Amino acid sequence: MTALAAAAARRSTRYRRRSRLGGLARGIGLFCAAALMLVYVLGPVAWMVSSSLQNEAEITSVPPHWIPDHPSVRNFEAIVDRPAATVTYENRSRIDPVSGGYIPSTARNLLPAMANSLLVAGAVVLLNLLVGVPAAYALAKIRFRGRNTSIYVILSTRVVPDIALVVPFFLFIRKLGLLDSLASLIITYLAITVPFTVFILVSYFESLPDELDKAARVDGCSRLQTLVHIYLPLAIPSLIAVVLFAFLASWNEFLLALMFTQTIASQTVPIVVASFASDFTISFSFINAAGVIAVIPPVILALAFERYIVSGLTAGAVKG
Amino acid sequence: MTDDRVDSPSVVRRLSSVVWLPYDPRTAWLFLLPVMAVLAVVTVFPIVYSLYISFFSVKLTRPLRQPFVGFDNYLQVVQEELFWVAVSRTVIFTLVSVVAITVIALLIALLLDQAFRGRRLLGALLLVPWAIPSVANGLMWKWIYESHYGALNGLLLQVGAIDHALAWLGDPAKTLLLIANAFIWKEVPLATILILVTMKSIPADLYKAATVDGANRLQRFLHVTLPALKPGFMLVIVFMAMVAIRQFDLIFILTEGGPAYASHVMSWQIYVETFRNLSFGTGAALSYILAIATFALAYFIIRALGQRL
Repeated sequence: MTALAAAAARRSTRYRRRSRLGGLARGIGLFCAAALMLVYVLGPVAWMVSSSLQNEAEITSVPPHWIPDHPSVRNFEAIVDRPAATVTYENRSRIDPVSGGYIPSTARNLLPAMANSLLVAGAVVLLNLLVGVPAAYALAKIRFRGRNTSIYVILSTRVVPDIALVVPFFLFIRKLGLLDSLASLIITYLAITVPFTVFILVSYFESLPDELDKAARVDGCSRLQTLVHIYLPLAIPSLIAVVLFAFLASWNEFLLALMFTQTIASQTVPIVVASFASDFTISFSFINAAGVIAVIPPVILALAFERYIVSGLTAGAVKG
Repeated sequence: MTDDRVDSPSVVRRLSSVVWLPYDPRTAWLFLLPVMAVLAVVTVFPIVYSLYISFFSVKLTRPLRQPFVGFDNYLQVVQEELFWVAVSRTVIFTLVSVVAITVIALLIALLLDQAFRGRRLLGALLLVPWAIPSVANGLMWKWIYESHYGALNGLLLQVGAIDHALAWLGDPAKTLLLIANAFIWKEVPLATILILVTMKSIPADLYKAATVDGANRLQRFLHVTLPALKPGFMLVIVFMAMVAIRQFDLIFILTEGGPAYASHVMSWQIYVETFRNLSFGTGAALSYILAIATFALAYFIIRALGQRL
């Protein structure tokens, strides 16, 4: 009897010890996998930030200084500096006294470019909401002939590659006299944002109960009132997602901006940053600083609204 | 309107499954008017106009004479040797990218599907590559691949894998794969999110049943997880193939199609033809070929995978 109990106890401790060992192994495995993933995902960005804080002597050292010895915000100062009164051959670029790395005089263009990017993105977001919300309500909550066809047509317009739209857009924008204007970007960015906006909003509106519509109508609401007073407050999570996607798509867009903008009157952040990257005389530490500037707003938005972004991105995935 | 979709059985079933929807076509079209007007101007018009241009010889270097040439533009572009170079580069880039993105995303999704502390934070940080502009992504990798002081050279020198700094992007054998690597890094997060949401929708009963039947961890993964993930894989493959086939930004920032046409993909061929040679007719023809190829690709992937899955 006691022998039996002892054997059972021994078996149970052995079992427990093995499971604790297994748990430890699992923990170590998970930790390593998570660390590996973190290095893969954030490593390149961390290196960009580190490079942007190094001076010319440090950034051209072999082996690289993974963490800057003497971090400096010199590059960022050049970006927010007030413009020199006149640009001459001598002051057209500022030379790093240590080793001759260039910071271009066009560094100042980044702030106006940010203003352009914000204006374009803001207008695109607003227009997306204006045309997207009523359309999504109609597609999700009203029965009519052509409903399914409309959804397919709206979605399929996004399958066309941007570069295929460039030629007709260019001729069209030139004919309207809108080359090198913010309007050209706002108009053309609707092509790349509106279909996705409608898609997300339709998925969300469909998940809201239909009875609300009936109840509001019985109470004497018009369709517009039903939409504004009943559904809009409930749809706020999807509206946040739409605002974020339209903003990020506009802020990050490069190809169309490259075609339509020529001067800083309309150039957006990606264009100005790309112009630094294509000039091999410019210090890489400055190019990285410009990159950091371009990266900060979208990354902050993505991290702050992570929940809405993930639910927006997966809106269609579950339903297939 | 001759559209009868609303009466087709599946739609009727769908409509009867919801409680009640009003039939009110006038209001519906009124609400749809703005979006239809916008899309007509910014997508339908350009698509049609592009087709029209592709039948004319439109050159900005010769603005006054733009004769109708029929299918000559199409014949001309496909007869160029460079076109087929571009096709092969695009195919390689797309294949490598889609396969790598799917595999890496599956691995990360498997990790994030586990319960552990910090999982939520990890999932949030995963959004960083997704959020950053492609231009910033391009110059970030340009600096990493840099031929003297780049991080890749620095790292490999430090661990002793190479004995002198290499010009990574200057090597035609590696260029396309290095660009694909930058592309993969940026697209993995979205793919992971799509696979993860599919993974979370797998009913726990399936795993329990498999365990009762004596399936070990690997068998459960192979026979329960993978088959259940097929819709997620399909979405990722179709979407990523469409994004990869049109990739332009990274090519522009990293190599401009070089060296020796090693990264001369379709979108770069269109860009050169249109904005460097200023030949809009042939540029539009090329664009149309790419657009049709994209459509066909999406269609065939959906059919092929849809049948087999």
